[in-house]
Amino acid sequence: MPLARIIVPPPSCGLDMAAGYGWPQSTAVRAGDYVFVSGVVAIDPDSGERMNGTVTSEAHRVFQNLKLVLESAGSSLERLVQVHAMLYDRIEYDALNRVYRQYVPNGPPARTVWSVQIIDAFKVQLDAIAIV
Amino acid sequence: MPIIREIIIPQNDRLNVSRNLNLPHSPGIRAGDFIFLSGMLSTDPVTGERSPGTMAHETRQTLTNMQHMLESAGSSLERVVKINVLLYDMLEFDNMNTVYRQFFPKDPPARTTCGVQLSAGMKVEIECIALVS
Repeated sequence: MPLARIIVPPPSCGLDMAAGYGWPQSTAVRAGDYVFVSGVVAIDPDSGERMNGTVTSEAHRVFQNLKLVLESAGSSLERLVQVHAMLYDRIEYDALNRVYRQYVPNGPPARTVWSVQIIDAFKVQLDAIAIV
Repeated sequence: MPIIREIIIPQNDRLNVSRNLNLPHSPGIRAGDFIFLSGMLSTDPVTGERSPGTMAHETRQTLTNMQHMLESAGSSLERVVKINVLLYDMLEFDNMNTVYRQFFPKDPPARTTCGVQLSAGMKVEIECIALVS
């Protein structure tokens, strides 16, 4: 029996990037015991407005959004397996880590940090694989 | 019993880029119910050469080849769960999306897009995780 591929509903209308921003992507997809989450950026989960700010303010918003998405998929921050943390500039690595450790205090997930160009001049983007 | 780990080889030999260019990666790996494909650049399926062009052209060629790769592995684009799209410049995000949307008209996979430096002056690289059918 092939595993079912289940589209995870967005936890709030602001986080529905397909409806709000017209991006051809689902918020998250569940396959078997795993949840694959699209890149999450700092947008208001209710209004969908961009909340560009400092690495610190964006990272808080991103983690709170990621938490909402994971919970909508029957998972949580404690169930993260792997995270890609994208940062606009390596020089802010420590600023990211200060926020990061608050959300995954114990047994944090495997992680890779990339310095990349992020959409809409955001400074932080996280994507994740978790288990339900 | 441990799950199987199997190398994925495209039916079209010209698209076996890692072997043809002697690169230390496999086109893809199947692990149990999941298929993990290596990052793919735009490659001409007839000559096996890189096929650089506009963002629209490279996106279309890469996703067409990805479809072939997945079908060779007993999967398809409809079974993709996660995609990572790497662009040479985020200014071309919309140009990529215009073509991308045609390949995933319904229930698109989860996706992350970011701007990075790519090999050989190419404009887009795409990798994915899919389920076997």
